[in-house]
Amino acid sequence: MNLRLQAAIAVAKSAGFLSKSLGRGSGETLPGRILLALCPDAISLLSASRVVILVSGTNGKTSTTKELVSQIRTVGTVVTSGSGSNLTRGVAGALMQDSVFAVLEVDELHLPEVVAATNPAIVLLLNLSRDQLHRMHEVKRVAARWHEMCKTSDPSTLFVADIDDPFVNYAITGAASAIRISFGGAAGGRHPDGAVCPACGRYLDWINGKYACECGLSNAYADHLYEQGSAGYRNFVMASHVADIAGVHNALSNIALRSDYRAMERATEKVFAGVKARLRLTKNPASWDEALAGVTGDNVILILNAREVDGIDTSWIWDVSFEPLRGKRVVVTGERGIDLAYRIQVGGIQNTLVDTFDAAIAEFGIGSVQVLAAYTAFFELAGC
Amino acid sequence: MSLKIVRIHNELLGTYGDQGNAEVLAYRAGLAGIGTQVVDISYRDVIPHDGDIYLLGGAEDAAQILSCAALSSGALHGAVEKGAVVLAICAGFQILGKSYFANGSEQRGLGLLNMTTVPGDKRYVGDIKIHSDLLGIDLTGFENHGGKTILGAGLDNFGSVIVGNGNGDSGVDGAVLGNIFGTYLHGPVLARNPEFADLLLSRAHGAPVKVEDSLADQYAQLRRKVVK
Repeated sequence: MNLRLQAAIAVAKSAGFLSKSLGRGSGETLPGRILLALCPDAISLLSASRVVILVSGTNGKTSTTKELVSQIRTVGTVVTSGSGSNLTRGVAGALMQDSVFAVLEVDELHLPEVVAATNPAIVLLLNLSRDQLHRMHEVKRVAARWHEMCKTSDPSTLFVADIDDPFVNYAITGAASAIRISFGGAAGGRHPDGAVCPACGRYLDWINGKYACECGLSNAYADHLYEQGSAGYRNFVMASHVADIAGVHNALSNIALRSDYRAMERATEKVFAGVKARLRLTKNPASWDEALAGVTGDNVILILNAREVDGIDTSWIWDVSFEPLRGKRVVVTGERGIDLAYRIQVGGIQNTLVDTFDAAIAEFGIGSVQVLAAYTAFFELAGC
Repeated sequence: MSLKIVRIHNELLGTYGDQGNAEVLAYRAGLAGIGTQVVDISYRDVIPHDGDIYLLGGAEDAAQILSCAALSSGALHGAVEKGAVVLAICAGFQILGKSYFANGSEQRGLGLLNMTTVPGDKRYVGDIKIHSDLLGIDLTGFENHGGKTILGAGLDNFGSVIVGNGNGDSGVDGAVLGNIFGTYLHGPVLARNPEFADLLLSRAHGAPVKVEDSLADQYAQLRRKVVK
């Protein structure tokens, strides 16, 4: 390892340690930031000697990465980025420890930059849909960046892709090496943002989750075909495919054995003032639809914030159908709780709007409640 | 009498939440005792001529081009001649003009409004607040577009910009011509500005519509207070 890099790592590590002991944040992104400031090519230097696997997509990055890490740990040492620290500084921070494998989740917009710097062995592309449009602007814009990345990356990089998502399928056209996985069609019969072919701009007709554009973009033929299932199941299958390629024994045969995918959700359980709460992260139309479909009890708290990582515009809540909440006891809160309360009122769902989460919990007083929380609210409540 | 609300190409023009405008109109009409029928018209469908209110939302470039091509058959022109109300947001607003830019080149618009849209100097993203003389109030929303719209002779703007950009750097947002309303405000605009929803319902109904909905009013007032 070169001296400049070694010195930069030493400084970054002690700064992280100091920041943690002083209680200034979790110490997760600061070391990475300092490392990149002192040694701008740290990511590529630290990637050279190990097997790098990257995971990206609008939804499921964190849970899929976690699953992949736990599988790959059975065959070698692994470093990974902390929960949601998926920008370059998080990646740099993760790489400071030695390991055989690096399994990293990467933000969609930053992926091309990280691919170029790490020359990864495998890149897992999960999905692309509407999210943080104030930052992403258009889904197509992100897909176009991925497309360029796949075309220009090193031929040794293998892309593993869910081609039921036409944006992902378009991205890998032109990749030197790719594995195309299909679940027999997009969940729900169509991709919610997939009315236009991302490759050629023609109108894309959907039949039972399948599309076949005149230009050739289609999910009719895949290298591996699976049954349809929840987002958690799909992410588990994708992770297992990557694990198999990385040398994990029985990774693929385990897919048939597993039936419970709750562990693949970004969810946690906690007790607040005597009320048992199951917290689930919800951040964009696709993840809300998935979370609402999984609501089982009669008591529900919805929390909406609109800070930078939540997406500063709340218009997208009108793209979500809150029908699954009909007949349930719904309490709404959050910094933009009123936006959500009005949206579901218009949708015909009775609800109570309160100022704070404590007040929301007090509405129930006892028993259990499901909490669907915006990104920033989820992390505050989950305490991670 | 029941109002027919035609939501045009929601699968193409539904990227920025504007489909909620139809839900708000139907909801408020219901509170006022007016029946409504929301009709979703997809790209492959024929657009009906007998709608009372036509809604177009924001879209990505390729979707905008497809929608405009499908509308060029003239169905919307026929409805407008009959006095139908049109609310068009962002990309949907741009295609009502003579020309607009998408996928890096100039595209021919529907020509319903005397205006052109050209690429802006930057992407305009953020909260927006405008003052509408027509409604006599401030309206709020969220804008997210790269186009600069230049209004031609005989075309009024919808509001003067207080916060944000609207049509670009001209200090105004949107356009109004008879019963055609265009704006860059997402939100959806009718959810955040109930007075505007009532204006559209009044025009379509042919008589004043005023709805009591305290949560809608509270929401509108809050947004007007915080966007500054």
